[in-house]
Amino acid sequence: MASVIQFQNLTKKFGNVAAVDHLDLDVEEGEILGLLGPNGAGKTTAILMLATVIKPTEGTALVCGYDIRKQPDKVRGVLGIAFQEPKMLWVSTPWDVVNWHAKVCGLSTTERKRRVKEVLDAVDMWEPRRKNVHALSGGMRKRVEMAKVLIQRPKVAIVDEPTAQIDIVGKHKIWNMLLELRDEGSTIILATNELYEADHLSDRVAILHKGKLLVCDTPKKLKDSILGGDIIDVELGQDASAEIITDLKSLKEVVDIMQIKPTSLRLYLNKVEEVVPRIMGLFSKRNVPITSIRMSEPSLDDVFAHYTGLTIEEAQKDEG
Amino acid sequence: MRVIWFVSQVLLFGVIAAKMVNVPDYFQYYVGGLSVMTLYSTAIFIGFDIYEEAEHGVFEYLLSLPVSRRQLVIGRSIGGGLRAFIYVGPLVAISLFVIGAVNPLSFAIALLALFLFSFGVSGMSIAIAVLIKSSDRFDIFMGVLDAFIVRLSTTMYPLKIIQQTNPIYGWTASLNPLSYAADLFRWGTGLEKIIYVQNPLLPLMGIVAFFGLFTLLGITIYERMIEGGGWR
Repeated sequence: MASVIQFQNLTKKFGNVAAVDHLDLDVEEGEILGLLGPNGAGKTTAILMLATVIKPTEGTALVCGYDIRKQPDKVRGVLGIAFQEPKMLWVSTPWDVVNWHAKVCGLSTTERKRRVKEVLDAVDMWEPRRKNVHALSGGMRKRVEMAKVLIQRPKVAIVDEPTAQIDIVGKHKIWNMLLELRDEGSTIILATNELYEADHLSDRVAILHKGKLLVCDTPKKLKDSILGGDIIDVELGQDASAEIITDLKSLKEVVDIMQIKPTSLRLYLNKVEEVVPRIMGLFSKRNVPITSIRMSEPSLDDVFAHYTGLTIEEAQKDEG
Repeated sequence: MRVIWFVSQVLLFGVIAAKMVNVPDYFQYYVGGLSVMTLYSTAIFIGFDIYEEAEHGVFEYLLSLPVSRRQLVIGRSIGGGLRAFIYVGPLVAISLFVIGAVNPLSFAIALLALFLFSFGVSGMSIAIAVLIKSSDRFDIFMGVLDAFIVRLSTTMYPLKIIQQTNPIYGWTASLNPLSYAADLFRWGTGLEKIIYVQNPLLPLMGIVAFFGLFTLLGITIYERMIEGGGWR
């Protein structure tokens, strides 16, 4: 597949801090690319540069062949963005917001009338279309923000944390909209810090941390790439001592250990069936009571942890 | 600052006011000037809108729209100018009632000039707002500018009297876009007892130049300061 977006050494510095650090990445036509990372990873800065809202310090990006530095007007012509915080303008109702956006995007009056209804229906906002935007819930405002992208049907759609602070029913509605938009031919960049969202929607996931691209591949390949494909979470009755961690590390099947909490360990293993009894034996020998043990498959959080040594939650705290 | 202001009030504006005792129909003259002053002060408000938009993130949305920066600035200038004109509409209507319009064509030309003046002020306000980048500083700056630009114009005092009092002041007032707008408005309403606009084309050209200059400046500064996140 052809690349619709090419990030070429894209860098943005605020003072001495590189919010996006030499980003090289290709986005293929018709895919949903998940930009995954904690708050402060550089996702929003990267997409704002792509939308020509902020200018790169170094490097550039091509969107449908147009250079964001040299042809920003052309770039904006093929690109639509749903912001993290819904932008409600100075107009007062969801209908006005979507209608105004459609007008600016060049839809004819007849088409606009039809499409505004169609899109507001799709996002379940037709009934409250005359409500004041300030009286809308967070979820409703997000759906209005999504409606802007849907009515625009851009070649490249960027959605920044589309389901943050939205209930599960609302999340599913927005996810379905994104999948439909992709099926209609749009290429989508989905910036998110929600692991399930990235895993569920993305054809490929690019993981960002501190402005740098760590890795980019399909969710399955990313998870398969972690050494120690099996994971067990062990909850202990007391804090895990340095000795018990050293003992565990001495087992050759134990690939990695993360101490999530003082009493909680996550072990990345090979040959789980063989090694679990020996692990239990080690805890028993050191008189460390186990309160629970749970096996799981690697998630994108594990992929993130594999590359950064931190869970997304920890990285978020780190940035905060 | 207060001392300077007090001294200038007594020595300059006091002298001018004293000379105006004999000015006929000053009330009508003042009503016309008041309309233009209000139009100026209202058109300035677009600058505050820019800060509000930046604060609420609407700015980013506007910058991401499929329109050029040029269209965006012109749109904002026209919007700001038009809004000011609508707000000042009732005052202009009262002025018309007080002064009375003799020649509809002259008045139409004067109105057009006020439109352009209003757009020009909006463009100037946008340019200053994006240059200053702080609503507090903008507020102070515009307050000072307002005091100077209004005082150093013919909105309140006829040019002839200002020139008699102080030639430099008179020269400044004769180049002030507010003077052009106020004098054209008075000319448009037929109030020619106190002002003598020999050639209305001159102030009209002045207003067109003011509009053109500040629209162009607005576009250039907006593109330089805002394009690519200069605001941040």
